[in-house]
Amino acid sequence: MTSPGDGTPVKPPPSFSPGVARNASKSRYPDESEATASLDAELADARTGSSPTSPLPTATAELPIRSSSPQSRSGRSSTPQLARSSIGSPFDGRSDGSEDIRSLIIRAFSPTVAVHASEDTDALVRNKGFKGGFWDLVRPFGETIPGKVVIRDSIGSSRAWEDYGVRFVNIKGLGAANAARDSPLAQMEEVLEKQLNSGEDTLGGAISGKDVLGIPATTPLSKLFLRQLLSSTSATPHETFGHPVASVIAISSRNTAPLETLRQLYAESNTGEKRLPDWIQQDYLRYYVLIHDEERDDIAESTKLYDQMKRHFGLHCHLLRLRSSQCVVTDDDSTQVPPCEWLSPQEHLLGVGEAETLVDLGTDGTPYLFDSDATAIKTFIRELMVQSVIPFMENRVAVWNDQVASRRRGISGRLAAVSRRWPFGSSSRSGIGSSGGNSGNYDTTQNFYAPESPEATLRKMADFAFMLRDWKLAASTYDMIRSDFGNDKAWKYHAGAHEMCAVSMLLNPLAMSAKIKLESVDQMFETACYSYLTRCSDAPHALRSLTLAVELLKSRGGSAIETAARWAMRVMDFGLVESIGQILFMERVAACYASKTTVTGAKWGARRRKAGMWSILAADQWLKAGKPSLASACLEEAERLYADVLEADGAFPMPEMQTFVDNLRHAVKVEYLEARGFDARDESPIEDPIGTEEISEKLDKRSHRRSLIGLPAQLDAGNLKLSPGPGTLEEAPNDDFERA
Amino acid sequence: MSYYFTILSPTDTPIFNIAFGTSKGGGDGIARFRFPDTAQYMNQFIIHSSLDILEEAQWTNGGIGARFLLLHQPPQLPSSGSSSTLGASSLLGSSGSTTRASSSSVAANPTSPQTEEAVRQFMSEVYESFVKTAMSPFYKQGMEIRSPVFRSKITAAGKKWL
Repeated sequence: MTSPGDGTPVKPPPSFSPGVARNASKSRYPDESEATASLDAELADARTGSSPTSPLPTATAELPIRSSSPQSRSGRSSTPQLARSSIGSPFDGRSDGSEDIRSLIIRAFSPTVAVHASEDTDALVRNKGFKGGFWDLVRPFGETIPGKVVIRDSIGSSRAWEDYGVRFVNIKGLGAANAARDSPLAQMEEVLEKQLNSGEDTLGGAISGKDVLGIPATTPLSKLFLRQLLSSTSATPHETFGHPVASVIAISSRNTAPLETLRQLYAESNTGEKRLPDWIQQDYLRYYVLIHDEERDDIAESTKLYDQMKRHFGLHCHLLRLRSSQCVVTDDDSTQVPPCEWLSPQEHLLGVGEAETLVDLGTDGTPYLFDSDATAIKTFIRELMVQSVIPFMENRVAVWNDQVASRRRGISGRLAAVSRRWPFGSSSRSGIGSSGGNSGNYDTTQNFYAPESPEATLRKMADFAFMLRDWKLAASTYDMIRSDFGNDKAWKYHAGAHEMCAVSMLLNPLAMSAKIKLESVDQMFETACYSYLTRCSDAPHALRSLTLAVELLKSRGGSAIETAARWAMRVMDFGLVESIGQILFMERVAACYASKTTVTGAKWGARRRKAGMWSILAADQWLKAGKPSLASACLEEAERLYADVLEADGAFPMPEMQTFVDNLRHAVKVEYLEARGFDARDESPIEDPIGTEEISEKLDKRSHRRSLIGLPAQLDAGNLKLSPGPGTLEEAPNDDFERA
Repeated sequence: MSYYFTILSPTDTPIFNIAFGTSKGGGDGIARFRFPDTAQYMNQFIIHSSLDILEEAQWTNGGIGARFLLLHQPPQLPSSGSSSTLGASSLLGSSGSTTRASSSSVAANPTSPQTEEAVRQFMSEVYESFVKTAMSPFYKQGMEIRSPVFRSKITAAGKKWL
């Protein structure tokens, strides 16, 4: 119905001059300016340009509730946004927030590179203040690779990506990932709670992440949630995103027997004690790094050694020049190490990412690096990815596509697959009686496919294609194998393939013009969710697939939004999330409905009322959770949403609704002010709609709802905003301006 | 299964409200919502939000004849736990879209064709009595309907069909 292209003209809320409403409230509450400034800081800076009427943009007092003051469409035009997102993406003009989420999701599935460093290397790096050794040092830099990364897809066309990343993992942690611990979901909840309590102020200020169009994008909290969720899963047999694509074997120039050490490290990871679990394919790329200590060793020696390495191990080598002394803030060319974006909930709880809070104290918790070191590491990572890992992956995909997938795709392959199921003659493993019997590659006792089996290889190939962002190939491959897993009763694989098939279909910008596709995607999520939850009772993965469904369907726009909202409600129904997660999902439902746009020129087709309802419910829940500032943000959001559909004075037509909202407003206000040390109890709820300052004169005596006015005669008149409602409202602030 | 039935005026103000339970299968006709403490406003919220769909449907579904829309609000959680509050709202009106009637219910299986048919029957009966009431010379458009006769008729229709 709405193709992504014409979804753009969201009807902006009636344009207010925002500074005015704030002035009005200022006169009532002159002494809360500092206390509440933070709530408004973000809004203020978004508006300063468009509100010349406000004399004190930052100091203006802001009540937690600005009743019925819809956010103005900020004065900025949408052109820069268009320019940004038009890099080959068909989502031009889609809200910035969804681009952001898409990018987040895409980056979550980055290739994994294991780090395997020798003792002397780790000692050298530990000397620099990185407790975790070499892995700890390179990890934050891997999350964004500077510059564009060009990837060729299966049909040979290349595309440049700005936001490519790589995940470095410690080789020691890979095998023993699933140690006994409480479920990642509980940990996630804990992290959210921690974040809420610690960063109440900052969150309150930045909570209203509005994008240019005024559609609620995402709150930082829900982004944190998503990031947590996507990084919570460790390496599992059924999907290969966590399996290393390559491993970096590092030695330092301090090593006395460098080549032997390299060989020994290789052997250790191949056959020795650091060997990865059986379900991980062992022939990943090995990349050899020599770390040269600038301060203690001779570069000539190192270069010689490096040449030797190249001769022995081929081209996948790098010479990384680092200074061995520790860098402190006061050093001339110190740069801060970027914070890690993808910390698993467990690491969050252990406080790995906590170092940032100590920044201004300059304690040793904050890692700093010399500028030259940072540059060297960035160059190293870029070279590693662009020259070795990505070509390796491209090559692998091409080979597997050629050898395994095409054979499977062809007629003979299908016949073979069938005949494998009904083995005639000798060794009838699965028995002829069981129709659709298994292929025999699935190890039912240990629940995984051997990595060399065609099923595992195809899954790996699809994952590689996914990580290389060739979603078309990925989707078709997942599609090919998903029924095989079902036949083998490999339920986790089955669920994973369904999930990723749907996700890659949704990510593929060109596919899915037809509605039928949407239904099949829906069906796949349904299957994935059922397999994860009921057959494997794997709640984290089920939650992940549903969350991905919500976010990606939401970014699709149009009729997919309804589905997105439905999945979000399913998440709540299943009880996959705990209290804070519930509220976040309520907010997501509201955001989904809010992003549904009206049919061009008409006034219907949006879901403003639904969005408003969910926002109010979320506000109620936040209040119950004791977070009045978040509740007030939600309430504000609800008012902005309702502003379109309610009468000009913002009154609800239904009496109980009105009382509920009034009470909620009052409660939020009281708690909010109390939290900041004001006593607002004496204020009666009747006096509540402060901030509106009865500015709206009700001029229009119409007897129909707005959607009935201006329809259908105005259908062709573009998005005229002729309805009397906004008109009267626009008058009002001017009055106020004179008064102020 | 409990129902919450509302007639809205063209400006979205409710002019008639009634909540009743099912009389089928041994029901006593008393409304019992899953969450009694929040039911009052939640029902109104649900009805109000279903206007979105109604608004869209009245323009996309051809003319505004006496047609029925049975829309199911997806399950949602007013407080906690799993619930299935379902809102069904229907559009009535033969000449202009001036009358709307909504009902919401907590149901075991509100999607079944039997339920839908029952609601349809109920609606047409309600519509008849509504037209009669609205034609009263003492009734002005948009006024709240206070007529006890009308209320008893609705209750009877509810008992009969739902």
